[in-house]
Amino acid sequence: MSVSLAVTGLVKRFGGLLATDDLSFRIDPGESVGLIGPNGAGKTTVFSQIMGEHRQTSGTIGLDGEEISGLSTSARIRRGVCRTYQVPRPFPDLTVAENVRVGQMPDSIWEMITRSGDRQREVELALSVGFAKGDLDRKPSELSMGNLRKLEMARTLATEPRLMLLDEVFAGLTAAEISVIAELVQSLRADGMTFLIVSHDLKALEPLIDRAIAIDRGAKVAEGPYLDVIKNPRVRASYLGTS
Amino acid sequence: MRLRWHHLALWAALVLGMLLLPYLVGNGTLRTMIFANYLAIFAISWDVLSGRTGYVSFGHPFLIGIGAYTTAILTKRFDVPVEISIPLAVVATMVGGLIVLLPALRIKGSYFALVTLAFMELMYQLVQVIRPDLTGGTRGMSGLPTLTRGAVNGFYLSTALMLAIAISMWLLMRTRLGIALAAIGMNEESVRGSGLSVTRLKTFAFITSAFIAGLGGAFYIHYLGSIAPRALFDINFLFTIIVAALIGGAGTVVGPLIGAFFLTFLLEFLRPYLPGAERYFVYGGMALLIYMYQPKGIIALFEAGLGRLGRSR
Ligand SMILES: Nc1ncnc2c1ncn2[C@@H]1O[C@H](COP(=O)(O)OP(=O)(O)OP(=O)(O)O)[C@@H](O)[C@H]1O
Ligand SMILES: [Mg+2]
Repeated sequence: MSVSLAVTGLVKRFGGLLATDDLSFRIDPGESVGLIGPNGAGKTTVFSQIMGEHRQTSGTIGLDGEEISGLSTSARIRRGVCRTYQVPRPFPDLTVAENVRVGQMPDSIWEMITRSGDRQREVELALSVGFAKGDLDRKPSELSMGNLRKLEMARTLATEPRLMLLDEVFAGLTAAEISVIAELVQSLRADGMTFLIVSHDLKALEPLIDRAIAIDRGAKVAEGPYLDVIKNPRVRASYLGTS
Repeated sequence: MRLRWHHLALWAALVLGMLLLPYLVGNGTLRTMIFANYLAIFAISWDVLSGRTGYVSFGHPFLIGIGAYTTAILTKRFDVPVEISIPLAVVATMVGGLIVLLPALRIKGSYFALVTLAFMELMYQLVQVIRPDLTGGTRGMSGLPTLTRGAVNGFYLSTALMLAIAISMWLLMRTRLGIALAAIGMNEESVRGSGLSVTRLKTFAFITSAFIAGLGGAFYIHYLGSIAPRALFDINFLFTIIVAALIGGAGTVVGPLIGAFFLTFLLEFLRPYLPGAERYFVYGGMALLIYMYQPKGIIALFEAGLGRLGRSR
């Protein structure tokens, strides 16, 4: 079920600002990689280019060896990439179950109308991220930040991704909520899911990843085993804002 | 899609009630009901687009006008039979729906509403300036073929059309498609992030809305037997459609239906007391009150009432 991602020479300019600066990296099937860097380093922008929400200025994005830069976001999602957002984006008037249902829908109006979808799978997905049965009919406005992140995970999982891009999954969570999400990631890894994870909470991130990539001002500053990367003087300097 | 017996029972009761109505009320009331039926069709059409996807259309008279003018011109000027002119009118309106879709691919919110308002204005000017020999210019057209004779038949035809549209939209919106369209209104980015083609869904909503508007516009004009641009491309007409959907309950099918009947009868009731445009002032105020008290509309008030009944049993 896994997938490889190869990013080469990625450049993104927002006017005069270089948000991604000749960035290259690859992730092998089943690998879990951490993407770290200070605020404004360009982590989220990398995600939005992989998803096709922002078109890169130049460079290529390959999925399983195939260039996906020309594809729409929905087509990329059908290929098995999906992301979560730093600020969760639920559908406010839909219940937890219905939110997951949207992620599960086929991208075909005809099928949406004629087939009613797999309700059991929908419930399974919601329960697998740690919701209780009683939560299924609740609206996002009643949910804690932790539950909103779980909902985001469940809706993302419903698209049946093979590569998940997680943006700040731990932000705003209690210690207990962090461990729920961490366990979920671990069990998905055990099933062979490929991950690219952004997190400012390095302590929570460390056990979830095989290695790390550090970026600053859009450019890669270090890559390798987590401990080596965070000990790298350039990485330390970038976090202190003195590079 | 799950159907519950009480839903079916309510629809059956509505159908039965409408069938029996001509035996219970006079022709005057029936004529009012006919207007309510057409207003319900227009409000349902508006809601499929604006109530669901959040793209608020101020240009629905533009769509209704395309349907109405197409069949009016074809029947009056070219002697095309209505069996052909009405389907052609519906197709023309669907093309019009695609035109309204174009700005929606780029802009949202009040900008979109303003652009659609411009469509309505533009249409009003066009029918007066371009080929008035065909459109009848400022005065419009009269002596169009009518489909029925008498209030009872007009009532049955409009009711059949309205119920067919309402029930099929109700069924359609209960499928996953209804949720997907509503999700666009809540967060378009997240719909895209769930792997769905937002553009395709929006196109479907616009075309479906236009289909209903065209059908309603064409039948309406063949009920009236005349077409008057000033009444059709009128801001009061536009607001009546929107207010019907809003006070009934936007984002539902039954809401706009209830809202249309409520508004039509409210305006009718006020007519003897306030013959002029002041009526619109009063109904605007009432609409505002209902809307402030329950933004989800009359249907939410009903549901709350039914819920209370259910609990007290
Ligand atoms: N749509 C945009 N238009 C213009 N500039 C943008 C846009 N999106 C991001 N930027 C800029 O690009 C840079 C990288 O932003 P990005 O959000 O990718 O950083 P980040 O590493 O995710 O930061 P954080 O840790 O705060 O989430 C920032 O300077 C940001 O201001
Ligand atoms: Mg970010």
